[in-house]
Amino acid sequence: MTLPASSSPTPPRGHAFLELGERLRRRGQLDAAATVTAAGLAHYPDLGPAHDLLGRIRADQHDDAAAAAAWAVALECDQGNVGARKGLAFLAFRGGDLAAAERHLEAAVLAAPHDPEVSSALDRVRAATAPPIAGPVLLDDPAGGIMLFDREGMRLIGGVGPDASDEMADAVAAECAAVVRESVRATRLLHLGPWRQVIVEGPDSRSALFPVADDATLLLVRGASTPVGRVVAAGHRATVAARAWLERMT
Amino acid sequence: MTLTAWQQLLDTATSVPGVRGAVLVSIDDGLVIAESAMDILPTAEVAALAAAIVQRTLRVSAAASQRPPRSVRVSGDAGTLMAFVADGPLWLVAVADPAAELGRLRLLLGDVAAALR
Amino acid sequence: MRVLEPWLAEPLTGLLRESSARLALVMTASGQVVAQHGFTRSLDVMAVAALGAGILATTAELARVVGSPTDFGAVVHHGESQGIWLAPFDTPRGRWIGLVVFGRESSVGLVRMFFDRFAADVRVAAPSDTQPRELLAEGFERELDDSLRALFGGAPR
Repeated sequence: MTLPASSSPTPPRGHAFLELGERLRRRGQLDAAATVTAAGLAHYPDLGPAHDLLGRIRADQHDDAAAAAAWAVALECDQGNVGARKGLAFLAFRGGDLAAAERHLEAAVLAAPHDPEVSSALDRVRAATAPPIAGPVLLDDPAGGIMLFDREGMRLIGGVGPDASDEMADAVAAECAAVVRESVRATRLLHLGPWRQVIVEGPDSRSALFPVADDATLLLVRGASTPVGRVVAAGHRATVAARAWLERMT
Repeated sequence: MTLTAWQQLLDTATSVPGVRGAVLVSIDDGLVIAESAMDILPTAEVAALAAAIVQRTLRVSAAASQRPPRSVRVSGDAGTLMAFVADGPLWLVAVADPAAELGRLRLLLGDVAAALR
Repeated sequence: MRVLEPWLAEPLTGLLRESSARLALVMTASGQVVAQHGFTRSLDVMAVAALGAGILATTAELARVVGSPTDFGAVVHHGESQGIWLAPFDTPRGRWIGLVVFGRESSVGLVRMFFDRFAADVRVAAPSDTQPRELLAEGFERELDDSLRALFGGAPR
């Protein structure tokens, strides 16, 4: 059975065309999938997931240039679009540009820290590119969390754990910003120099805050049994990735 | 525990190389309860500022539905502020030089904080 | 924030920002208000200034009666949701009084720390060429009215 592509360019109501386009793509009806998606984009030109879908359709059609263009637009709409990051990483990996693939996957991990597909893809790319010591950096603990937030305590990306809601992550970001403000003040007034990190150890977790930029801080949350040194090391490496992500976003 | 015993434990903490001072702080009001520090360390300011940081981390734990933290460490290029829960609202706060052995210090201050209970 | 003299603005801004004070009042020892933050009614300012000066006068007398060689310095009242810091400090214009109302977002330690810095900043910033004015009884109400008008931008309510 083949799914009928709409004969009219009018897409299904709302964003339902995304589901239809994806189903068509999975069934291999690539031209129909492209038609539905393009019609939807005519109505929602700023919808990142639609550009991501179009990228996957073009990749399936082996039109890498069109796929890359679609995913680039998806990132313009939303820097945290994991699908677009994965797609661009895939194209870069296939094209032999392993550094670009790693860069895209690091950004994808920041956007979706608990997506095992992304973290294992990052591991694979690193295994192909990096010295043997390079292991999984950002997601060394699936129960952990990683989050970027700005000076005002607004969450930029990430969360505090797989079981934590976005609301909880937002609340934690707001409170962490106050910790950063107090730490900045304390290090300044006590002449301890610019702050470099805050480590908090508790019975439930070990958390660390690192300055990423003037207006952004990284929070890393790990289980209470994680060695502190490992939390710090992971935080330093995550900070590098977060800086790169911020630069691409701005 | 007596104030004299507290003082002895704080002296123990301050005797560690690289430690500028140790202060027992009431984090509810940010005031010094007992202290052992070099003259250059403004202990009242350490207490006020450390209490403010600890109070904020308590709010982070509450926001994350976790139990309160046991220790907080703020590191700058020129030194580190370390705080360990001692007894209820009382926290042991120490300020260390960058050259201090933080790993050893963390364990020792944790022990001192436990002994302060 | 309202100040009677512009040079007070910077030290007071620092105190308010760092201590997270909800309300603040700076007055001379004779009760003339020179700066305020957070009050919306002049009657409240008048009452708080009078009560604050009275509390300090009372504790100074208490110190004398119990044989304390100096005043007690600051007086702190700590309630469930907010506290009051009340302390005298010396300036080139004579002894002034500061009153700070703070909530749970701050602490006695923080208020004390930044109040001490505020007092030091005032000592540095205060022009020393002007002698403190003598407030005569007959001029007191007019002085008070003028101060409150300046602090609230209108006639006293």
